[in-house]
Amino acid sequence: MKFRHFAAALLSAVLLTGCGEPAQDQSDALFAADLFAMDTYMNLKAYGKNAEAAVREAEARITALEHTLSVTDSGSDLYALNHAAGGAVTVSDDTRNILDTAAKIGQESGGALCISLYPVLRAWGFTTGEYHVPADSTLAELLPLCDDSLIVRNGNTVTLPPETEIDLGAVAKGYTGDAVMEIYQQHGVTSGIISLGGNVQALGTKPDGSAWTVGVTDPFAPEQLLGTIAVTEKAVITSGNYERYFTGDDGQRYWHILDPETGKPAGNGLVSVTVIGDCGAECDALSTALFVEGTEEAVAHWRRTGGFEMILVTADGEVLLTDGIASGFQPKRDVQSRVIGHDEAG
Amino acid sequence: MTKQAKIIAAAAAAVFLIAVILSVYILRKTPENRIEIVQDGKLLYTFNLNTAENQSIRIPAADGGYNSVVIEDGTVRVETADCPDQTCVRMGTLKSEHLPLVCLPHKLIVRFAEEGAA
Repeated sequence: MKFRHFAAALLSAVLLTGCGEPAQDQSDALFAADLFAMDTYMNLKAYGKNAEAAVREAEARITALEHTLSVTDSGSDLYALNHAAGGAVTVSDDTRNILDTAAKIGQESGGALCISLYPVLRAWGFTTGEYHVPADSTLAELLPLCDDSLIVRNGNTVTLPPETEIDLGAVAKGYTGDAVMEIYQQHGVTSGIISLGGNVQALGTKPDGSAWTVGVTDPFAPEQLLGTIAVTEKAVITSGNYERYFTGDDGQRYWHILDPETGKPAGNGLVSVTVIGDCGAECDALSTALFVEGTEEAVAHWRRTGGFEMILVTADGEVLLTDGIASGFQPKRDVQSRVIGHDEAG
Repeated sequence: MTKQAKIIAAAAAAVFLIAVILSVYILRKTPENRIEIVQDGKLLYTFNLNTAENQSIRIPAADGGYNSVVIEDGTVRVETADCPDQTCVRMGTLKSEHLPLVCLPHKLIVRFAEEGAA
C-alpha cells in the first residue's frame, strides 16, 4: 500500500509539473512593432490590454517627430531655422523642448555639447556619407559659426545668425523615447520597453515584476555585448566612436562625435559613454557631452551634478562604472572595471 | 511491496525523470533559439535554430537589392548583401537578443523571437 501511494504521488507530480509555457493572461500580453525612422531601426514593445493602441499611437508620434526634427525635410522646424537667413522662426513645442535640454546640458558641460556644429559635420561628410578629412583652414573658417550661445531663444521663437546651422541629432532620439513613454502612460500601460537604434528606454518593470535587462555594446567589437545592466523605468543611452565613422587615407579612424573646440572627432580618452537616467532627452544629450569631455572631466561632471549613472569605456579598455549602477552590471567578457564613487578618492 | 506496486513505481519514476529532463531542455532551449526574419514590418520566416537544416535564403529587397541569410549548424548570419554599408554582414552570427542583425537600407531584421509576441 505504501508504495502504491508513492507511485500515485509520483504520477500526480508528473501531471502537475507542466512543462509548457504558462498561459498568458490578457493583462500582460505583449504587443511589439518595428519601425524604420530617424535613420535607424526602432523596436517598440508594450504589455497589457492597451498595448496595441499605445504602440500604434507611439508609431504615429515618432513619424511626426521625425518630420519636425529632420534637417533635410523642407517642411521641418529645423529646415526653417537653418534657412531663415537670420530671421526669427516660430518652432513647435517639441523643438523648443529639445533646444531647452540642449542648452541646459551644453551649459552643464561647459560647451562640450554643441548643436550648432552642422556646417562642420557637413565638411567631414557625416551629413551625406561622402566622407573626407577637411583642411584645418576649412575648420578654422567654420568654427566661429558653431557656437550655441548664438542661438537666441524666446519661448517658441528662435533666431540664428545667417550662417549658423543646427541639428538635434544628439537629443532627438532621447526626446522621442520620452514622448513614447508618455503615450504608454496615457494608455495606462505600466510595462514596456523600446529600442531606438540601440538607445533603450523602459517603463516600469517587466510584467513579472523583475528588472529589464539592457545590453551595452562592446565599443571594441560592436557585433557583441560588453555586458548587460538591470534597470527599472530608466533610459539607457550610449554614444560611441563605433557608431558612425570612416577610415581616412592615413589609416586613422574618424568618428562623428566632434569636439566643438577643434571641429575634429573628440578623442579625450573615451570610446563609449552609456548614460542611465530618468529623462531620455537629457541622457542622450549627456552621452554626447560626456564623450566630448573625456574621462576625467566626465567623472568630475557626474560628481558635480549627479542625477544620472554612467558607464565609461576608455580608449585603453578600462570600464568605469558609477556606484549606482555597478551592482546591476554583468560583464559578457573579461573586462577590467573600476567603480567610481561620489568622493574624489573613490 | 507487491510486484505490481514496484512496476508502477518504476514506471512513474521513469516518466517523472523524462518529464523533468524534457522540461529543462525545452525551457532552456526554446527562448534562445527561435529566430525570425522580418522585412519592413513583415514576418518572412521563423526558424528553430536547434532543428533547422543548413540553408541559404536569398531575400530580395524593395530597391532591387538583396540579403543572403545563411543558417548553418544552429547559427544564423547575413552572409552577403549588396547594401552600401555592409553593417548586417559585419555583425557576423546572431549572438544576443539585445543585438539583432539589422540592414537599414533593406529594412531587414534577423533576431531571436520574443515569447508571446503579437
